[in-house]
Amino acid sequence: MPDPQDRQPFDLTRRQVLETGTIASLTGAMLPTAGLAQQAGPQPSPENGMTVHLSFRVNGRPTALDIDARASLLDLLRERLGLVGAKKGCDHGQCGACTVHMDNRRVASCLTMAAKADGRDVTTIEGIARANGLHPMQQAFIDHDALQCGYCTPGQIMAAIACVKEGHASTPEQIKEYMSGNICRCGAYVGIVAAIEQAAPQIERS
Amino acid sequence: MTPNRNADRPRIDAHEKVLGRALYAADQPFPGLLHAMTVPATIAKGRILSIDTAAALQVPGVVRVFTHDDFSQIRTTPAARGAYGQPGKGHQPMTAPQVRHRGEPVALVVAETLEAAVEGAEAVTVRYAEESFSARMDDDLAGPEPEAAGQLASGDAEAAFANAAHIVDVEYRHPQQHHNPIELISTTAAFEDGTLRIYEGTQSAAAFAGGLAGMMGMEPQALRGVSPYTGGGFGQKNGVQEQSVLVASAALLLRRPVKLVMPRGQLFHTASYRPQSRHRVRLAADGNGRLLAGIYETVQQNSRYDGFGSDHGANPPRMYGYGAWRGSERIVRVDTQTPGHQRAPHEHPASHATECALDELAGALGMDPVALRLANDTQRDPITGKPFSSRHLADCLRRGAARFGWERWTNQPGALVAGNGDRIGLGVACGSYKAAMTPSVTTLRLSAGGQCRIATSGHEMGQGLRTVIAAELIDVLGVDPGKLDIRIGDTGHAPQHLTAGSWGAGSAAPAARAAALKLREELSQLTGAVLSDEPVHVQLARTRRPYLEVSVDTVPLGKDRQAIEQLRRGMPVTTGPEYPDFLAFSWIAHFAEVHVEPSTGRVRVRRVVSVADCGRVMNRRTAESQVRGGVVWGIGAALREAGECDPRFGGVLNNDLADYVVPVNADVGAIEVDFIDEPDTRLNLSGVKGLGEVAMVGAAAAIVNAVHNATGRRIRHLPIRIEDLL
Repeated sequence: MPDPQDRQPFDLTRRQVLETGTIASLTGAMLPTAGLAQQAGPQPSPENGMTVHLSFRVNGRPTALDIDARASLLDLLRERLGLVGAKKGCDHGQCGACTVHMDNRRVASCLTMAAKADGRDVTTIEGIARANGLHPMQQAFIDHDALQCGYCTPGQIMAAIACVKEGHASTPEQIKEYMSGNICRCGAYVGIVAAIEQAAPQIERS
Repeated sequence: MTPNRNADRPRIDAHEKVLGRALYAADQPFPGLLHAMTVPATIAKGRILSIDTAAALQVPGVVRVFTHDDFSQIRTTPAARGAYGQPGKGHQPMTAPQVRHRGEPVALVVAETLEAAVEGAEAVTVRYAEESFSARMDDDLAGPEPEAAGQLASGDAEAAFANAAHIVDVEYRHPQQHHNPIELISTTAAFEDGTLRIYEGTQSAAAFAGGLAGMMGMEPQALRGVSPYTGGGFGQKNGVQEQSVLVASAALLLRRPVKLVMPRGQLFHTASYRPQSRHRVRLAADGNGRLLAGIYETVQQNSRYDGFGSDHGANPPRMYGYGAWRGSERIVRVDTQTPGHQRAPHEHPASHATECALDELAGALGMDPVALRLANDTQRDPITGKPFSSRHLADCLRRGAARFGWERWTNQPGALVAGNGDRIGLGVACGSYKAAMTPSVTTLRLSAGGQCRIATSGHEMGQGLRTVIAAELIDVLGVDPGKLDIRIGDTGHAPQHLTAGSWGAGSAAPAARAAALKLREELSQLTGAVLSDEPVHVQLARTRRPYLEVSVDTVPLGKDRQAIEQLRRGMPVTTGPEYPDFLAFSWIAHFAEVHVEPSTGRVRVRRVVSVADCGRVMNRRTAESQVRGGVVWGIGAALREAGECDPRFGGVLNNDLADYVVPVNADVGAIEVDFIDEPDTRLNLSGVKGLGEVAMVGAAAAIVNAVHNATGRRIRHLPIRIEDLL
């Protein structure tokens, strides 16, 4: 494993950073220009510590990379692959905002180690729209205004699709029960149930 | 032109939200982004003796560990967390070796990856000298303050009690509550176009330009606050957070972009919350149920240093035609983080206390609680004697009662029984919230190709502000919703006012409407004729101009041009509820049906009917959602939510979403919403009052009153839990 120091994308060393001084020295001073501050171009941050090699499919696309063994699937998607649709709302598996599908089952990606995705199929909100437009569940969420701020929405939609495929959408009561792992603090629950009822007949059970 | 009432269209940003394409603060990509993590204080009060960062710096990937030594130049200004705009108040952590509340950041670890930052933060060791403290308002060391001045009063309330046929004298208690928007509070600081851009999901982008600049000793133009989408605010994101200036300073010092996503557990200690409060309510009535007087005394918990006020007494005297009134508010200071505004900040706890007390009075009178409220309806404010700009509360009650089936109600608790043996309870309560407005500077540009771009003040946090702005542009200009570009929540596009206090629609809708009307007028001058029904961009294209742009300054009722200057300087300017000729409020009536399982005491809210008078309804679909959301918050307040403070350590014990329980889908029954939909054009051009906050006011009280109707138990604290009913 290479020394992390060698993999810094910038020519700023840790020593230089430590010598930068306190904020007083920069007060009123000129700001770094974009060119100086962000010259590296788009490239992922170097991994530190122990890495594992992953080979898996994301939204149907084969993907391979080395990743920090401590990383969650959520931080892999968001911070390494730029798939920011899945959201971090608690990082403890308590809110459901990070819900994605792994091998067609819903998982809390914040509680799933990235390493566990090796050899699996991962589907995120970015991967469900159909070629001819929105996924029926996405359209139903619009029709029933099943969202407000939209932050929990990707997780709600991924959970909703799974809820139907699992066969847990036959009554409103059942939908409510099986959608209760996804918190919507704006309180769009009535719309979410109505949306799932609308979309359910258009989605095949697995 | 007459506004199109009651339009019903899809939420304008729903499409990108269901695709997962709406970018929130922590979603912004930056090359070379560094990740930060805070180290929270493990004591409630004291001094930092030493911070050992050696082990953290050994963690591969850690770039730097900041402590108070690095940030001593940061100034605690009126923009700082907890100051609420007041000099000498507020507390900015990490500017001195001092801890004023448990969980405040004492070190900031910055690393190449999030994983390294987290491990680094865990490796920092801090030694403290602890001092004694009080974490609860009932503790011996708590600091009660004298009664606040300027309390509302009219007539001789004490004397009225002497002649009353019926008196209620009760104390209601309200717990500490936490907002918990699902978007974690985060700060990303990055350099772009010669400015330091601060990306933070916020209700106040201006705080991240002028506010942070003042704290950092920089020119306001050097910073730009960007928050096009906020993942829920509810009042918790209405200013600079404890970590904001730390992240901005770290980015400056490291000359690289830095992102910090605060962990949920830490936010229970660093971000604001609704403080605990006690409410003594005394009501006096004659034999016919006429309200002779009310005396309302409250006590609220604050931190030692904050500038947060107490305003429980503002709305209750305006609800009914009280013959006389006296209010009193006190605060008690303790050593916890500073509280703040949480959805219907004082109106919700006040409505819980006073609307439940009114239910108790109805019981004492043997009167139907709907009839009691209707008998005391008023079109004038009992305090000032001024009329209300519009008040259709009696219509809300009548329409709600009919839709709900209030005729099933009986004053015999437990009389209604469901087929499975559950006791059915029916309850009613009302609410109000001031109709406020703020100034705007708006630029509207129509392109000959049909594109329409507006830049104005406001923040989209789920309430539907973009949809409200779109409604006015579509109404006046007939533009294609798919060709609208609505730029809000960004100080780079237009001066930004704090979006809170239900003044978003009342400010942005008239601003958008005024700009659209001006554009029509200028287009008409260009074409030299009255505009036809053809699309406006087609008429513009015929003038051979590529685009037409107008700018409009909107000054709210009762203010002058100075308001625009204050807005440009990032200062808050708000109005209401009192205006020169009237008082303005939104009103609501809630009806709740609960089912209580006799053997377990489990309460289910099966159905709520809410009817609101919010002036003109800008979009039926999003307005209904907003009211349902307020009702869900009422369910949470009535039956679920309480932050449990640990008196031994000064922290919140249940600081995660598994232990601080908020309503989930299975907790919510049917919520039916209706509107009076009468535009209030005395207030503003659009005829809109406000909806997001009034939606919650009274909702918890209706549920509590329904629980009494089901069980005969009068529970005078929130939340009501199984143990209260067994």
